[in-house]
Amino acid sequence: MADLIALTLTQPVQQPCKLHPQSMCPAFGALRLLTRIEGSQVAMVTDQGCLYGLTFVTHFYGSRKSLIAPSLGTAELMDGKVVEGARLAIETAAREPGVRIIPVVSLCVAETAGLPEELLPRQANGAEVILVRVPAYAIHSHPEAKDVAVQALLQRLGDHTGPREPKTVVLLGEVFPADPLAIEGLLRKMGVEATIALPGRNVEDFVRAGRAAAVAPLHPFYKLTSNLFRSWGTPVVGGAPVGVSGTFAWLRALGNTLGLDPDLVLEVANEERERAQAVVRSQTRTGNVFVTGYEGTELAYARVLVEAGFTVPYVSTSIGNDPLVLPDEMWLRAHGTQEIAYRKALEDDLQALDKYPVDFVLGTTTFAAAAKERGIPALYFTNQLASRPFFLSGGMAAIGAMVDQALGTGARYEALRSYFNEFNEEPVNALGG
Amino acid sequence: MQLLRDLAETSGYWAAVWTMCPLGDVHVVCDAPIGCFNLVGTAVPDYTDAIPHIENLTPSVITEKEVSGTGTAPAVERTILGLQAAGTLEGKRLIVMSTAESEMIGADHTDLVRRLEPDARFYYSNSLGEDEWTGRDRVLGWLWDEYGAPAAGDIAAQKGRVTIIGPTYGCFNSPSDLHEVQRLIRGAGGTPGLAYPYGATLADTARLAEGEIVVQLYQEFGQTLATKLGKPVVQAPFGMRATDAFVREIGRLLGTSQQAEAFIRRERKTTLQTLWDLWRGPQSDWYATTTVGIVAGRSYAEGLRDFLGGELGMPVQFAIGRPRRLDEADNSAIRAMLHERAPTMLFGSINEHIYLAESGGRGTHFIPAAFPGPIVRRAVGTPFMGYRGAVYVVQEIINALYDSLFNFLPIDNHAKPASPAAKPVVSSAPSLPWQADARVRLDQVLETMPFLPRISASRELQRAAETEADKYGLAEVTVEMVEAILPAARN
Repeated sequence: MADLIALTLTQPVQQPCKLHPQSMCPAFGALRLLTRIEGSQVAMVTDQGCLYGLTFVTHFYGSRKSLIAPSLGTAELMDGKVVEGARLAIETAAREPGVRIIPVVSLCVAETAGLPEELLPRQANGAEVILVRVPAYAIHSHPEAKDVAVQALLQRLGDHTGPREPKTVVLLGEVFPADPLAIEGLLRKMGVEATIALPGRNVEDFVRAGRAAAVAPLHPFYKLTSNLFRSWGTPVVGGAPVGVSGTFAWLRALGNTLGLDPDLVLEVANEERERAQAVVRSQTRTGNVFVTGYEGTELAYARVLVEAGFTVPYVSTSIGNDPLVLPDEMWLRAHGTQEIAYRKALEDDLQALDKYPVDFVLGTTTFAAAAKERGIPALYFTNQLASRPFFLSGGMAAIGAMVDQALGTGARYEALRSYFNEFNEEPVNALGG
Repeated sequence: MQLLRDLAETSGYWAAVWTMCPLGDVHVVCDAPIGCFNLVGTAVPDYTDAIPHIENLTPSVITEKEVSGTGTAPAVERTILGLQAAGTLEGKRLIVMSTAESEMIGADHTDLVRRLEPDARFYYSNSLGEDEWTGRDRVLGWLWDEYGAPAAGDIAAQKGRVTIIGPTYGCFNSPSDLHEVQRLIRGAGGTPGLAYPYGATLADTARLAEGEIVVQLYQEFGQTLATKLGKPVVQAPFGMRATDAFVREIGRLLGTSQQAEAFIRRERKTTLQTLWDLWRGPQSDWYATTTVGIVAGRSYAEGLRDFLGGELGMPVQFAIGRPRRLDEADNSAIRAMLHERAPTMLFGSINEHIYLAESGGRGTHFIPAAFPGPIVRRAVGTPFMGYRGAVYVVQEIINALYDSLFNFLPIDNHAKPASPAAKPVVSSAPSLPWQADARVRLDQVLETMPFLPRISASRELQRAAETEADKYGLAEVTVEMVEAILPAARN
């Protein structure tokens, strides 16, 4: 379980009081990927307000899938009816046509009341019932809830006792759909026979993942899942195919782990490095960029931007400081990044605006809004980066082009700021209050 | 125990944030884990109210430590001290509120809050017990008791002034509806007064007493406050006749009946003229075959039902309100209904939109009419209430029918750029006789479709079945051939 959010009034000197921590509701990370799996019918166990909010964002950003839950009010929660409610939702879920797995998503109030796993069925109507515990008070960020969910599914579904599929790699992490295809294309040239992209839409992928010869987490927060693979004897390849040097190192590490022909691996890695360097050379990019999302991938994005020629003085993320992030942190600090905030609050980001030069912000909606209020070009990290490739040389080109384009429209941000501040009136709300 | 599917209504906690936070001189501390703060404060208001985030909301950030040991008092204290240190509370009144999780662990901060900020209050949102409707209703009454009534002693009702209760954040389409209701009040000879809470500040609360009468925008909430104010209450109207009655009632209560009558006469010749023109034109011929389904807030559901069904004669297949009455279909039943047979026009939330998508929903038009679901409704030109609302809703329906027609008219495949997905040209289908049971099956399928799409679907399905039969070398179209083409036809 992740560590506690550091929230104290006795902050280090010049550190702001962290009042508004920044993350989507952690549970959403789990729901998003659980609802996207074909044949998955989620049963949520929680109170009405939580259910409304999570259903809202899941229907908007996850999948167009009906979600069910028992009605849990004061009476049910205090009288130990949580298990009964979960069982009712499971029975209903099991009647959906084509259901193969029923993730039971247990949230804050259910976790507080208690939902013992042994009181739930392991199967219902042939579907696997899988408990996923993601109380926001204990998970802290939504990337980490993705890890909890993937680990829970693999634990139940992963076929790790049968014969291995040699030269098969699990690519672990929710990424832009074209990314795994690009990575697989390259890996096949090195002698990899198959890749399995997790978490995807196919239940069978979770089963097969247990037989893979190696797993490569593309994001640095798949801690529980990596540990599970290790417990199965599946080697975990560190790093990610991100940027010039990162990709080169990753391809070689993967080749080494799988026992591929080292000469062939080197040849493919060199070719890709040349392509990446060509991307870097193709444009001279300058400008100060803040990378301040809450997806847990911010340090890797910052690396790509730095390699592309931008300066990234400040990076912040919702995940905690962890050995898995350390290589990226060290690399960034060696390349001009002055501050990296983990488990960040809005106050960290706002303070950075005053401390470091910035031409463009990739941030949370809240912080992007604050930047726009100052006339600084800003985009919502999650929406913009989820809709573009990121890995390998193709990802570098796409990300660089996006930031270039945003910097190119910089004057518009100042023009709108100045228009809306022309009369310096007291703020009122939309309806005049 | 009840099963919930795709919940349509949120809790008392959301109701409290949505009702208090539009008051710009309030700062709310929610005793909440990060998720309850994020969803209410940022993730959802981006898409319900089109605001980047709720700025005057701060969480206590409940973690394991608070749940399993200390309770949330230290976290609330730290948060208040932090806000004080940052200067955030200057010129603001602080309200600390409970959430589902803080209620689970029994946190009550009434005394703590008063000790730290003498003017501050603790509000128990009863998030585990109340839904958003009863929640909003109770918050409005509480705000009056705490901040309004004590200061309202010297405030006399002003001649012709009309207080409006509602909207809060999270009220579908409220800018347009409020705008239209304010216009109607002016037309009836009154002066629109405070629109509480969204058009007000906390300091304005006592000014609720300025109204000679009260207009309640939504029947779902506001009754408690209206009763406390002790003034005559009029409910905001939908449709032509109900709006006439609304304007007349305001005129009667304010003693401005002559103005009200003149306004009604003028509106009928101007704003409502559109409805008369459409009625006399070919458009209204479709009304009787345009089936309507409605799932929305109680005021919207009943208002649309009475106007579209009662006044214009559109067959209302169902009208289900929120809060749901026990005799109304729940979401599982609505889903089954829509899978079975969807109406031509479906007014609803994203839930109904999803059920429609699940079943293919061919030919049904979805018109957003309720939350949940992402939508921007900040322009004031899209009312559902009042005279302009009546015109806007019918205009939406007719334009949707035009769009249906456009989509079902044949397109010449030769004009399209070549693509592997292009459908084969079906005009060469052989003309084959139909067996009786095959014809019955085709009619059954067509019967489940909305009226306008049915016309061209009838042609398409016939051709497809005949082509299929021809492929198998049959002399007649059999029921098996109809079944064979149905899965493709549904997509």
